[in-house]
Amino acid sequence: MHGGTFGIATPRVPLTPALSPGGEGDMPLVKSLPAHPDRKKGAAMTADILFQVLVSGLLIGLIYALVAVGLTLIFGVMDIVNFAHGEFLMLGMYASFWAFALFAIDPIVALPLTALLLFAVGVIVYQTVIRRILKAPMLSQIFATFGLMILLRGLAQFFWKPDHRLIPHSLVSGNVAFGPVQFGLPQFVAALGAVGVTGALWMFLHRTRLGTALEATAIDREAATLMGIDGQKMFALAWGIGAACAGLAGGLIATFFPIFPEVGSNFILIAFVVVVLGGFGSVTGAFLAGIIVGLIEVLGGFLVGPEYKTAIVLSLLLIVLLVRPRGLLGKA
Amino acid sequence: MRFAPAITEPTRLPKGSLPSRRQTIKRLLAAAALLTTTALTGIGLDIAPAHAEDEIRIGVIYPLTGAAASTGVELKAAAELAAAIVNKEIPAPPGLVAGIGLPNLKGAKIKLIFGDHQGNPQVGATEAERLITSEKVVALTGAYFSNVTATASQVAERYGVPFLNGESSSASLTQRKFKWFFRTTPHDDLFVGNFFTFLGDMEKKTGDTLRSVALFNENTLWGNETTKLQVKLSEEQKFTIAEKILYPAKTTQMTSEVQRIKAAAPAVIMQSSYLGDAILSMKTYKELGFLPKMLLANDAGFNDSEFLKTMGKDGEFVISREVWALDQAERNPLIKQVNELMQKRSGVNFNGNSARAFTGIAVLADALDRAGSTKPDAIREALQKTDIPASGLIMPWKGVKFDASGQNELGTGIIVQVQGGQYVTVWPFDVATKPVVYPMPAWDGR
Amino acid sequence: MTTGTNVSRKMAGTAALLALAAVLPLAVTEPSQQNFLILILMGAQMGVAWNIVGGYAGQVSLGHAVFYGIGAYTSTMLLLTLGLTPWIGALAGGLVAAAFALAMGWPCFRLKGHYFAMATIAVAEIMQILVTNSDALEGAVGLYLPMDQSGWGVLIFLSKLPYYYVILGLLVLTVLVSWAIERSHIGYYFRAIKDEPEAARALGVSLTRYKLIALTVSAFLTAMGGSFYAQKEMFIDPGSVFAGTISIKIALIAILGGVGRLTGPVLGAVILITIEEYSRTLFGSTGSGTDMIIYAAMIILVAVFSPSGVLGLLGDLRRHLPGAKPAEVETSAKEIRP
Repeated sequence: MHGGTFGIATPRVPLTPALSPGGEGDMPLVKSLPAHPDRKKGAAMTADILFQVLVSGLLIGLIYALVAVGLTLIFGVMDIVNFAHGEFLMLGMYASFWAFALFAIDPIVALPLTALLLFAVGVIVYQTVIRRILKAPMLSQIFATFGLMILLRGLAQFFWKPDHRLIPHSLVSGNVAFGPVQFGLPQFVAALGAVGVTGALWMFLHRTRLGTALEATAIDREAATLMGIDGQKMFALAWGIGAACAGLAGGLIATFFPIFPEVGSNFILIAFVVVVLGGFGSVTGAFLAGIIVGLIEVLGGFLVGPEYKTAIVLSLLLIVLLVRPRGLLGKA
Repeated sequence: MRFAPAITEPTRLPKGSLPSRRQTIKRLLAAAALLTTTALTGIGLDIAPAHAEDEIRIGVIYPLTGAAASTGVELKAAAELAAAIVNKEIPAPPGLVAGIGLPNLKGAKIKLIFGDHQGNPQVGATEAERLITSEKVVALTGAYFSNVTATASQVAERYGVPFLNGESSSASLTQRKFKWFFRTTPHDDLFVGNFFTFLGDMEKKTGDTLRSVALFNENTLWGNETTKLQVKLSEEQKFTIAEKILYPAKTTQMTSEVQRIKAAAPAVIMQSSYLGDAILSMKTYKELGFLPKMLLANDAGFNDSEFLKTMGKDGEFVISREVWALDQAERNPLIKQVNELMQKRSGVNFNGNSARAFTGIAVLADALDRAGSTKPDAIREALQKTDIPASGLIMPWKGVKFDASGQNELGTGIIVQVQGGQYVTVWPFDVATKPVVYPMPAWDGR
Repeated sequence: MTTGTNVSRKMAGTAALLALAAVLPLAVTEPSQQNFLILILMGAQMGVAWNIVGGYAGQVSLGHAVFYGIGAYTSTMLLLTLGLTPWIGALAGGLVAAAFALAMGWPCFRLKGHYFAMATIAVAEIMQILVTNSDALEGAVGLYLPMDQSGWGVLIFLSKLPYYYVILGLLVLTVLVSWAIERSHIGYYFRAIKDEPEAARALGVSLTRYKLIALTVSAFLTAMGGSFYAQKEMFIDPGSVFAGTISIKIALIAILGGVGRLTGPVLGAVILITIEEYSRTLFGSTGSGTDMIIYAAMIILVAVFSPSGVLGLLGDLRRHLPGAKPAEVETSAKEIRP
């Protein structure tokens, strides 16, 4: 056969492969492995697999929810669709990355910092760009946030190079297993964080004066103004909180997702779907819709075929819109 | 006539008052500045930069922005190194192709003009046309993405300008009967064929059966063509396809994909992914606690310099097809010498992609010199007569010699495995520097 | 307000512009510059077609790539399988796209505002995924047009000039259709739907019917633009003709020039394509993202300083010129007889 000097090494822990020359000139051994279940089409669904798929879907769905609540909040308060929302996520990821790379701060520890930083970014974006287009037609607003999206990507490439980066070891790493169901600790912590942040946002909107004012502005801008709520302040606050939510989502997934200037484009379509499915402006709706989208995407991808997973989610969106033209919990 | 007059009011302006004169002036000034800038840049381009007589311009098209920008920037650095060597700005190691510069062109210098295709086939064609007609390049090279190479080389074909592709592996590119298209890298037919030969060899070595294969490829031109070849060869060589997945690139999660593969429990996964997806899929394998006996990657993302940098020990033991590996320096001193130049200049090692980009420029320069002219026909003729021995290359190939379709018929592939943070050659066995680690150790056994 | 002199002045202006466009390639002889002009005309044609539904009828579609892609694939498949000339193929593509628009518009027009825009994005994305996975259409591999043929029959040319005149002709056709609609009672209904939907409904106008007309006409013309793309680039794949970025670009062109105005998208295309091409050619080769930054900065500047498009800005200017008659300047809408 091949007159090679090297054979096959059977690995031992740790990495150095042991040299164990394979039999030169062996005839292929006919050794039948336990036959794999002969499945031509579709995937066999056992209870274990179903649980596993549902858990995976739930975990990613909660992340979608967190990305989307910020987007829907901005929309609810001022009727602006923010195309640059994925880029806030990207900035959040980079904030975590640099905190880790430069100061050795773990992404999880850096979360409050990331949130503050992105809050500031949101307010700055509002003050410099959005404030000037408040009265512009919807189309010009799309135009502006679309430009913002490209700008932030360009700046990220300019300052941080187009490289893919990853935070190699975070406080949270490794796997957790519950019986047959396995998931990564980073994903689990990210999902928990998403629940926590969304919950905190809900409490803020419903239990604090400032939050209630924000919610009131979202429900009826003019009435809120009449009641003495400073609209401008509320708008800036919405952008700050919206960006901070996306930033937190970025910080949470930075423990397992590659970080690069275009990473926002992976998430933005799904985030839009979640916002619309939940109903523009509804934080609770976005939370529910995030979970639904995550579950349907993973489950649909598993059953029908991963190449159609996005199409399945989008079809679901269209069907829901036909029945409920304002999404699940959208305001009338 | 049927409407209330209220409707006929023009509604051009946003509701509210008309803009004040001051606002209008402010906006006008901004618009004027914008238009002036645009106009000036336009004029700036029209005045083609006066270039020296002895400067030979070569167009290079890469993805310099967009999702693949990190690879594009790496390719650009390699191409620039090749140009610097040809231009004798850097002394060349003896024996290196094109290391002698361009004596037949009286020591003329080459100048690379870069274009950014952004991963978009239309932009690739537009850039090719611009480089040919307004930058007056004598030849083109690029474009990494197979579908962009397809459109950009069509433009070159129409204008009768040589297009030398160094790093696109889609087999169909050299099946188009083009006159002006040349490709130095081997294509997917060879690479995919190698996979199956390798698996056969491994079965003989280990006595294991590796007949059940999962195909896991990204859903663009490259992944699709690869899948078709893999299906064909599986049937011919009696392999069973346990699962076949074409996944959408730029995805947020790969759990459905990996879960399906896990359920199918194949012995081998054959995977084609660009960098971001390669990283995400490895993370997902780990998350779901799954690994096959062997993960056979189809180059690209798995062989990007950043893959190992970002994955660390989680990237260990992946096996990938390659055209280049640093450990081949043991067999070919040129590899080491040129890699040191690359290190000095850009601070990174070569990898399969950048080594091929380097070789592309070097082969083109060699043809230019032998042509002794910058006329397209002369360059094309010289390219056809190219016969570079293995000893002049930094690739582990048998040489460079183009067949009638423009394909280099002396290209070969190797198979590498990540071991101890390095890509080491493990196949063909006669050029291997390390044994294959098999099967892939489980995640918790590392 | 409608004065004969005004109309004839406009017609003279249009004729002069057309004559200029017709002789322009004689002055601009370099192929890459001609290609640049073609890109502008392609952008203008898409923008004018989009404007019919997005501008006049006020139904913001962010999924027009679906029509563009249908046009490109229909004419190309007909050429490759039946050898049918793209002249007929483009018409067929237009008809398929129009039929598709009817089928998709019927349910989608129940939705309003942002919900409608999102639904159009969803439809276009689903279509891209379906085509990507369709073996009959060669899926992600894409389709090549024959390189060994050329001439007016197959609409493939070696030089840029014929492409220039074909797309100029298509643009003129698109503008004419748009103009005819603007002046007809249909255009009047469109604006009514956009501005006062409740009043229009109260007066018995079927909103859905007129929205469907707008979408269908727009889809037909957009698809013809897609067929032209295929003929010019000679290679199509789902990522290049069904992409979401195309949908956005189509809308951007119209918005930039001025939505709901006949010539807005033409001006928008001139500006947007110029920024796009020159920022890339001048700064793209650095690999540091500078071209994106410049492109984006210009877009944001336009959005902030000229929210009603460049035409709106010009309108403001004229209003402030000494001696200008108030509000007359930019009111093509008002001139229409109901």
